[in-house]
Amino acid sequence: MKVRFWGVRGSYPVPGPDTNRYGGNTSCVEVRTDSGTHIIIDAGTGLRKLGKDMMQGSFGEGAGTSHLLVSHTHWDHIQGLPFFAPIYTRGNKFFVYARQRDDTHLRAVFASQTDSPYFPVPFDNVQADVAFRELVEGARFEIGPVKVSCTRLNHPWIAMAYRLDCDGGSVCYVTDTAPFKDILIEQEYIRQPPKPGDPLKPEDAAKLRAMRDGVVRLCEGADLVIYDTQFTPEEYAAKPHWGHSCPEDAIEISRAAGAKGVVLFHHAPERTDDQIDELLAYHRKQAPDLDLVAAAEGMELAVGNGAK
Amino acid sequence: MQATFWGVRGSVPAPGPEMNRYGGNTSCVELRTRTGTLLMIDVGTGAIPLGRKLMADSFGKGGGEALIFLSHAHWDHIQGFPFFAPVFVPGNKFIVHGPGRSSSMLEGILEGQMNPHFSPLYTMRNLGASIEVVAVDGMAKDPSFECAGVRIKARLNPHGATQALAYRFEEEGRALVYASDAGYPAGGPSSDVRALYHGADVLIHDCTYSPEDRAQRMARGFSSIADAAQAAVEGEVKKLVMFHYDQDYSDDVVDALGERTRRLLDELGGSKIELVAAREGLTLTV
Repeated sequence: MKVRFWGVRGSYPVPGPDTNRYGGNTSCVEVRTDSGTHIIIDAGTGLRKLGKDMMQGSFGEGAGTSHLLVSHTHWDHIQGLPFFAPIYTRGNKFFVYARQRDDTHLRAVFASQTDSPYFPVPFDNVQADVAFRELVEGARFEIGPVKVSCTRLNHPWIAMAYRLDCDGGSVCYVTDTAPFKDILIEQEYIRQPPKPGDPLKPEDAAKLRAMRDGVVRLCEGADLVIYDTQFTPEEYAAKPHWGHSCPEDAIEISRAAGAKGVVLFHHAPERTDDQIDELLAYHRKQAPDLDLVAAAEGMELAVGNGAK
Repeated sequence: MQATFWGVRGSVPAPGPEMNRYGGNTSCVELRTRTGTLLMIDVGTGAIPLGRKLMADSFGKGGGEALIFLSHAHWDHIQGFPFFAPVFVPGNKFIVHGPGRSSSMLEGILEGQMNPHFSPLYTMRNLGASIEVVAVDGMAKDPSFECAGVRIKARLNPHGATQALAYRFEEEGRALVYASDAGYPAGGPSSDVRALYHGADVLIHDCTYSPEDRAQRMARGFSSIADAAQAAVEGEVKKLVMFHYDQDYSDDVVDALGERTRRLLDELGGSKIELVAAREGLTLTV
């Protein structure tokens, strides 16, 4: 498998000279298997450039098929879809996967992004065949030769982590999530965050334990774990209810799971390139047992057969 | 009045080194009155760095007030709002003006951006600051009102399947006009809009496309540099500011469009009109 990063940023796109090296586009990762199965994880603004790239091949002729796994539908994970050229070409086929909703069909959620008065091109103008697949946590399914599994994360509303196994390798995508220790973020808005370290309600503690176990199981022995590391520990302490983790959490979970490589991902929008360099250097020293990298637009990693 | 540009891009934020000079953030202009009152025109992602700057003054302490004017509610003109730091500080006050048949309708549109499917904020009521929403009727017989000592007029331009408000801000006999997302029919702007532009000291005008690209994409409802030059010459404005560049236009492409726009102005008899291409960080005194 080849894993290529098209958007690595959290919250909102950040143009400007400070983000030139790691990139300012929001979350989007492309996975291509050795036999050509095409998977996209998340549809942030990075998807716009990926779409242009795809139009150079079979998608430009209306003969492409791709599978879009969506962690959750917060703006920074879906806002590239209306600018994704291959969905406006008839003949292309897309399967969109995300956690099912209790109150509405997934298609309605995605379609409403381009409703009037927010966007000039309604979802009805999409020319490709776009089918939606609603998931529940724990689901296991296959996309061609790829075995996919998923588990729920600690984030407002619902976010899913995914694992892809293929070509003798495995890659996990774990974003967005808070650590599984101080707060259980379900569906209500949390006005007053708890202080990290405050005691938890026993039922919340049990749910968090189960969630953490699910993530560790998902990442077990993985070659690559792409993890939400938006925060530093100080930032997390101020905003535990925002639902993001730190590099420390990514390292801790990856060690518990016996994973090999860790990708720091979903960088804070205000983090400059130089600050990401520093964070990476610091954590490489802390975790020499793991192969640690910071996701950057254009970076491609080989996983499984043919990896270094 | 003083205008500072924080976002000059159309449709979608465009990060990348090839956009460094003009900037990749979507529409946002900071307008300061003579007495320092803050008016913001559109709240694309350019509003986010503006918000960070404002947090260093009274907005950081909950004592800030600003008037916001929205041309329309397409994402690239409102997407900075949920990340505009001053809205999270209790005590700050914002009055948001925008197109709509009623204020409750406009409020509902802004609420839609906070919908829990898409945003962890859930509702504008969670933001902290006080936010009042006022619909502006761009079809009114007398479209003018006064805010903070500034005379404001608004008129609707066609914009694809929808419409966008163009605003004229007048203070002490000086006028700045903001006309983004304007897709004129073959005959050009309406007579109401022509009157709105007329004699402006500064006309910030939609320059999304080259004439060739606009011809390919008429339905999108944006101006080309030729439409902007025409509007500036017919309106006898003093200065034309190019704005709202296509997300695929690199700095070099915008440079070239600027040169073409200069030639177009000269050919149309507007050689006295000053021309500026908006870029992030640019400040103009009116």
